[in-house]
Amino acid sequence: MTRSATPMLAIRDLSVTVDGKQILNGLTLELPAGEVHAVMGPNGSGKSTLAHVLAGRPGYEVTSGTVTYEGRDLLALAPEERARAGVFLGFQYPVEIPGVNNVYLLKAALNAQRKERGLPEVDAFEFLSMVREKMQLMQMEDSFLSRGVNEGFSGGEKKRNEILQMLVLEPKLAILDETDSGLDIDALKIVAAGVNSLRSPERSSLVVTHYQRLLEYVVPDVVHVLVRGRIARSGDRTLAAELERRGYDWVSGEAA
Amino acid sequence: MSHPLAARIAEQHARAARALSAHLPGAARRSAAMEALAAAGLPGSRDENWKYANLRPLERASFTPAALTAPDSAADAALAAALPARLEGFARYVFVDGVFAPALSDAPAAGPAQFRTLGAFAESHDTPPAALLPRGELGADQRFALLNEAFATDGAAIHVAAGHEAARLELIFVASAEGQLGASYPRVELRLESRGQLELIERHVSAAAAASFVTSAVSAQIGRGAALDHYRLQELSSRAILFDTLTATLAQEASYRLHALGSGAAAARSTLSMRLAGERSALTLSAAALGDRQQVQDTYALVEHQAPHARTEETFRGISAGRARVAFNGKIVVARGAHGTDSRQSLRGLLAGPEAEIDVRPQLEIYTDDVRCSHGATAGKLDDHMLFYLLSRGLDHDTAQRALKWAFLEDVVARIEVAALRRQIEERLAGRMQDGAALRELI
Repeated sequence: MTRSATPMLAIRDLSVTVDGKQILNGLTLELPAGEVHAVMGPNGSGKSTLAHVLAGRPGYEVTSGTVTYEGRDLLALAPEERARAGVFLGFQYPVEIPGVNNVYLLKAALNAQRKERGLPEVDAFEFLSMVREKMQLMQMEDSFLSRGVNEGFSGGEKKRNEILQMLVLEPKLAILDETDSGLDIDALKIVAAGVNSLRSPERSSLVVTHYQRLLEYVVPDVVHVLVRGRIARSGDRTLAAELERRGYDWVSGEAA
Repeated sequence: MSHPLAARIAEQHARAARALSAHLPGAARRSAAMEALAAAGLPGSRDENWKYANLRPLERASFTPAALTAPDSAADAALAAALPARLEGFARYVFVDGVFAPALSDAPAAGPAQFRTLGAFAESHDTPPAALLPRGELGADQRFALLNEAFATDGAAIHVAAGHEAARLELIFVASAEGQLGASYPRVELRLESRGQLELIERHVSAAAAASFVTSAVSAQIGRGAALDHYRLQELSSRAILFDTLTATLAQEASYRLHALGSGAAAARSTLSMRLAGERSALTLSAAALGDRQQVQDTYALVEHQAPHARTEETFRGISAGRARVAFNGKIVVARGAHGTDSRQSLRGLLAGPEAEIDVRPQLEIYTDDVRCSHGATAGKLDDHMLFYLLSRGLDHDTAQRALKWAFLEDVVARIEVAALRRQIEERLAGRMQDGAALRELI
């Protein structure tokens, strides 16, 4: 596979501990602009840790390695700086924040990003019609607008809300942490349509998943298999199908 | 009570009694209260339930009613500007330093709720309502009500007739006198006859930044099947001192929903005593307190379940920032025979600064079987997961924290069913938090 000189995201030899326990162990991965890469792996292989470290969640200690995003040292940025620079994490378990309105969060997030880019605050009317349009794509009801962030949402609604936020913020790098977990097939298709609608030569996605299912709808350019904190194998989309057929033990065995 | 303080109160009381018009009703009541107070004394910080209150201001307070010492309020126009916006459908009655201000108030109108001032009894042949406090054993928790009774010369007496139509009233108590010039004694006596309904807003505000000394007392008798929705907003100036006492008694199937929001005063102490005396009566107490700088917001709430199958739902949310102290001590006592009691307490405190203090304390005393009582109390910082979620969307730290503080109060604010009032309160709370303009976006 050929790689452009400066990938959107370059992770080199990344090692991470949580509470003193080694989770990522010399992980190296390159994600060029315009591509969708899947990171698959068994439970406990470090998939979610990778997603969180990239977003800047506290509690993870990077013991070695580098992460470069558009040529910048990503690990040196605070979580909010990463977000404003175009990095988006779709949470596996989005938190409920009763009392903080969905529209407020969307607007505050978008304006934070616009401010970073030297743009004026978004016009309230244009903003609402833009949000409504994207809500239609995600098949969300209007009442959602007035509710608290994820408040009383079902698992599927929370995931759709994550994708809606992504559509509003239009990140350059989207990291989706098990966005498919807990979704029925209809919701999965909606979520996939949302992810696909953002595909473009300037944007990249890192899709973290345990199952191949989502990858039938969001077709990846590259599939990486994560085992015990490092990439054990990379390949094209057929690798996902093969994993599904042969199970993770196949790769785990090789990596051991 | 320390001797100098007792002597000072008694001496000021005697002078006030001489200065008062002989026509004012309740002279006997006032002097009886003074005698009881002299015997019992005011609580001290060593008294149970008074540990968190700031009692020091008593040492330099003047107890003489401001209405006796301050010039007659010709400044009504200036005061009018300090009043909050009118709420549609609510008849408004304003008291300045505890004394009724007709120029700022609606004319008392006929309707299901009869509003009278205690002073008005002077011109009629009616006897004013009986003493607010039962005589006899008065615990430390009722002694500021005694102080109110000893000095109050006016107040609101509200009588809601039996029936179904809900009445809506707003009482505003404006504290305008400086503490050195005199104190004020807001006083409310409520009686709801059977199935009477009342929505009552009770506000305590300041004119300008007066360092007033306010001792308020409210009593509510809620009759059989009656419903009282009571909104209490304490928005005094940041130099004011408040000692507040509320007592309520619920008859069979009575419902009392009390919403208390305290964000003002330098030091505020609220003592709530609620008695569920009738079967299947129901109490909802939702309270929020905000403390900043060196403020003290202290609430003690006693709920006594005395009859079977009564319910209590108690919610408190307090935020303490700066070097403030915010305390809520909620005690629920289930008496012998009060089987089928259902009580829930959810008390939560949020520490918003390294030097701030939060004390939330649920207490439960149960003297019968077959009850369902639950309580939860937490005090801590902002939720890390929520904070990271907002940061991961690009919000800066300050904005994210403000949004979460706001969300923390939501459990209490969302229960305010009078929409226009809720909006006023949200504006007020937003203004009380740093960078309120940004918070208004949340409303």
